[in-house]
Amino acid sequence: MTDTEKITEKQLKTLSRLARLSFTDEEMGAFGAGFKEMIDFCDGINAEIEGDASSIREVGSREIVLGELREDEVAPSLPNEKILSNVHGERGYFAVKRVVK
Amino acid sequence: MSGRIRQLSALLQSRKISAAELTDRYISRIERINPVLNAYVSNTFDEAKKNAEFADKLIAEGRATPLTGIPMALKDNICSDGHLTTCCSKILQGFRPYYDAAVWEKLRAQGAVLLGKTNMDEFAMGSASETSVYGAPKNPVDITRVTGGSSGGSAAAVKADIAAYALGSDTGGSVRQPASFCGTVGFKPTYGAVSRYGLIAYASSLDQIGPLASSVEDAALVYDAIRGKDVRDQTSVSTPRGATELETDVKVLKIGVPEEFFSEGVSDEVKTAIEAAICLFERAGAKVKRVKIPAFKVALPVYYIISCAEASSNLGRYDGIRYGYRAREFSYIDEMIVKTRTEGFGKEVKRRIMLGTYVLSSGYFDAYYKKACLLRGRIISEFDEIFKSCDVLLTPTAPTTAFALGDKSADSVTTYLSDICTVPASIAGLPAVSLPCALGKGGLPIGLQIIANRFADGLALACANFFEREAGVNAELCREVQL
Amino acid sequence: MKYRMVSGFETHVELATNTKIFCGCSTKFGASPNTHCCPVCTGQPGALPVLNKKVVEFAIRAGLATHCTINTTTHLDRKNYCYPDLPKAYQISQFDKPLCEHGYVELESGKKIRLTRIHIEEDAGKLVHERGYTFIDYNRGGVPLIEIVSEPDISSPEEAREYVEKLQLIMRYIGVSDCKMQEGSMRCDVNISLQREGSSVLGTRTEIKNMNSLSFIEKAMAYEAKRQEEVLSSGGEVEQATLRFDEATGETYVMRTKEDAQDYRYFPEPDLLTVKIPQAEVDKIAVSLPELPLEKLRRYTGALGISVLSARLLYKYKAVCDFFERCLSLGAGAKNLSNLIVGTVYSYLPTEEEKEAFKINVAAEEMAELAKYVDGGKINFTLAQMTLSKMLKEGGALGDYIKPADLEGISDGELEELCKRAIEENPKIAEDFRGGKEKAIGGLFGYIKRATQGRADIKKAEAVLRRLLSE
Repeated sequence: MTDTEKITEKQLKTLSRLARLSFTDEEMGAFGAGFKEMIDFCDGINAEIEGDASSIREVGSREIVLGELREDEVAPSLPNEKILSNVHGERGYFAVKRVVK
Repeated sequence: MSGRIRQLSALLQSRKISAAELTDRYISRIERINPVLNAYVSNTFDEAKKNAEFADKLIAEGRATPLTGIPMALKDNICSDGHLTTCCSKILQGFRPYYDAAVWEKLRAQGAVLLGKTNMDEFAMGSASETSVYGAPKNPVDITRVTGGSSGGSAAAVKADIAAYALGSDTGGSVRQPASFCGTVGFKPTYGAVSRYGLIAYASSLDQIGPLASSVEDAALVYDAIRGKDVRDQTSVSTPRGATELETDVKVLKIGVPEEFFSEGVSDEVKTAIEAAICLFERAGAKVKRVKIPAFKVALPVYYIISCAEASSNLGRYDGIRYGYRAREFSYIDEMIVKTRTEGFGKEVKRRIMLGTYVLSSGYFDAYYKKACLLRGRIISEFDEIFKSCDVLLTPTAPTTAFALGDKSADSVTTYLSDICTVPASIAGLPAVSLPCALGKGGLPIGLQIIANRFADGLALACANFFEREAGVNAELCREVQL
Repeated sequence: MKYRMVSGFETHVELATNTKIFCGCSTKFGASPNTHCCPVCTGQPGALPVLNKKVVEFAIRAGLATHCTINTTTHLDRKNYCYPDLPKAYQISQFDKPLCEHGYVELESGKKIRLTRIHIEEDAGKLVHERGYTFIDYNRGGVPLIEIVSEPDISSPEEAREYVEKLQLIMRYIGVSDCKMQEGSMRCDVNISLQREGSSVLGTRTEIKNMNSLSFIEKAMAYEAKRQEEVLSSGGEVEQATLRFDEATGETYVMRTKEDAQDYRYFPEPDLLTVKIPQAEVDKIAVSLPELPLEKLRRYTGALGISVLSARLLYKYKAVCDFFERCLSLGAGAKNLSNLIVGTVYSYLPTEEEKEAFKINVAAEEMAELAKYVDGGKINFTLAQMTLSKMLKEGGALGDYIKPADLEGISDGELEELCKRAIEENPKIAEDFRGGKEKAIGGLFGYIKRATQGRADIKKAEAVLRRLLSE
């Protein structure tokens, strides 16, 4: 996005839905301005770089050979009390009350 | 000079003091000093006493290592079984992991003594530790100034000697930059050298745990204790030891000085200090060569795109269901999740989650995320090229000394610029150490950054060790801070 | 206006590994909630995935058995979406470099349903909505899955059934999954659209999610095709949507439409490395593959000369085939053996599960011996069936039921005597037969069978009886 295309309010709404965050209209206004600035900042990747670009390569190319992967051997799981130790559980389940007012 | 760990270790081994007594002294120092500095956000004194008991046993049995009985701290994003670990975020309020991070597991087994968890930017997102939900820590050198970030609490705790050393995490400079601001040594190892298992993720392809310590030798000792391949972290790798290699022949050393690191934004006093440090190496016989990293100018946007993209995904799990904060009122689960996240995350974290969501979303992925990954490859290639003719690179760690509290917190993009010197090594996964090299205006420390090639962690530390000894800066900066 | 059904399947198959895809927790079905869990599979902060080798090997097996190309360089990606059963808010899956691509599943007619890809991914946990609460169990979270994506080559509910059954069989044959739809270890998402006869333009498709029964798949497809046809013939347009099939009403319902379509924001999983698979490993797996279902079916009906009906009943169950083929290798002939299994053994194993498990009292050696007796004319089929029934019920060795003397058969002289006695002791039947009631002779067969415990050759006996009665 090299042009100065504005981030529309609709786009921000879609993004906040995907990110599961909510903003009041007021917040959205202020946020939108700062967000635009961040995107302009990120558009800095379009800067011209001198020198040979042919050496560009994909990253994440570190590899592991099939034989080095984890063996399929069962390790003990943790007790249910530990698994639920940071939350209110019920009968061994994580539990969320559906309506809390 | 030998660092604090060596000194304390000598006292312990010669039984001049027991680990239990040493721990009590640190605890009372924390109780006296921490209210001023806000370096710790939670303490683990019960654990410390147990650890000290174990350490005394190891010493008695003659099984001690240099880290046995030494009181230390973990950044608030490193898990330890049963202790609050909150990333200084409301969303993890009350969270007590039920397992140990790989690094703490290793240290505890050696008899390390855990004093508590240190302050940081919320989810390590920041450069001044001011986005912490507990309020910013203060710089022990000047308490009106920031500690840097995100591992600001760790740097402050080490500087004020309320921890003999501390672990931090470095994603774009979060160990090195606060080390520079507070006048301590901070080391970010090669990506993968230290297991990330139990480090609460910010940006997985960049995050790396590293030590903050009062001397290079201390940092190397800690690094040696925590490094190593871990089956629980597929990205971890084996790297050579650090401390055993602490000497290097400077006469055959080829030093690169990348000119982009000295461009606009870098203050004159910092430039002068770094040039003086380079001269010191040159006088000792090292060959110094000016080099170029053309892709430097895209490093910051590349870093922010990749780190925010990964963060937006890594932080999706904070939904109030399994741990941490949960919104109080809601009519259905989806609403609970949105409310929990909206109330639980701070402004900067939300901003980065939104940016990360944006650069990964359909229609923008190629223009941002994919392009950033390609440019990351370019940056790596440029470093590879430079390391064909250089052993290490010398640069500033940060463009300026510590700024005043509250100065930049309003403007995130300006704050991003303070990472300019540390981000390139992060992107390329290179080891880099920051150590004090001079004092600027107001007696504020200036950090020298030494970057080495992947797996040459030992060389970066050896060069730092040489400089520390020759320059004698550390001794001066390490004087007891009066609070 | 006539329409043609165009359907493609996305089939999720749980792999039968011991441990989950990214941690050492057990994959066993049916444990108490949240007891097969650890920091990794409950998405604890700081936990990291570690890929299970067996998952990759099993997926390669599945790919080779469906004629796929194996990508020897592959990586995993994050698929970001939020649902309470997904603890990390992303599923580790594969996006642009699936492990297997370009395969097919052949139907009995010879038609090939092309496969686009097979990739590996993790399963989600389970939600229970009850008493105003949502309860979450992460035992299933992280259980390894392969997703098998077909091209839209399926053109009827019947074809769909055969496709799914064939896949199921292939996976069971190669030992990578039990594919139990009722336990959820095999689930299908069905894409369906209609195409005007004679047109090459594809219609807008809908997707029916999470089908876990063959008969519901058929019903749902038939219903959805009819619904789309009604929409199209009344001049409307099919709306792209994700549907749910209500098993109670037999109708499909809209879960979400295109407007609220997900944006999964796929990107390479930074916690895992690119997996390199040496060609030699692929070759090793290829060599270890057993005969595949369709090949077996064709061999049974072809070279072995078994009836299509029996062959289908046999090849459906891997354990049965193993037993059957072991008996063959011990010298039994295919025909009598298959009839004994399908006719007698199956009546003791009424359910699918029992046939699949194939736990019986009779060893292959004894079964083969019994079939050989019939093959060699030493006993007749009826006696073999009776004996087999007793052995299945009561156990014991073949020798307990069939003595050497039994195998000698009935001599001609003995048979002559027996037939005479039968006529003498049943004067009424003899009279009826002579009086023209042909069928009456059956009564005499019964007498002879009882008297010899089935050993007598009834065909021979009939000839003797007819001769005696006409004398």
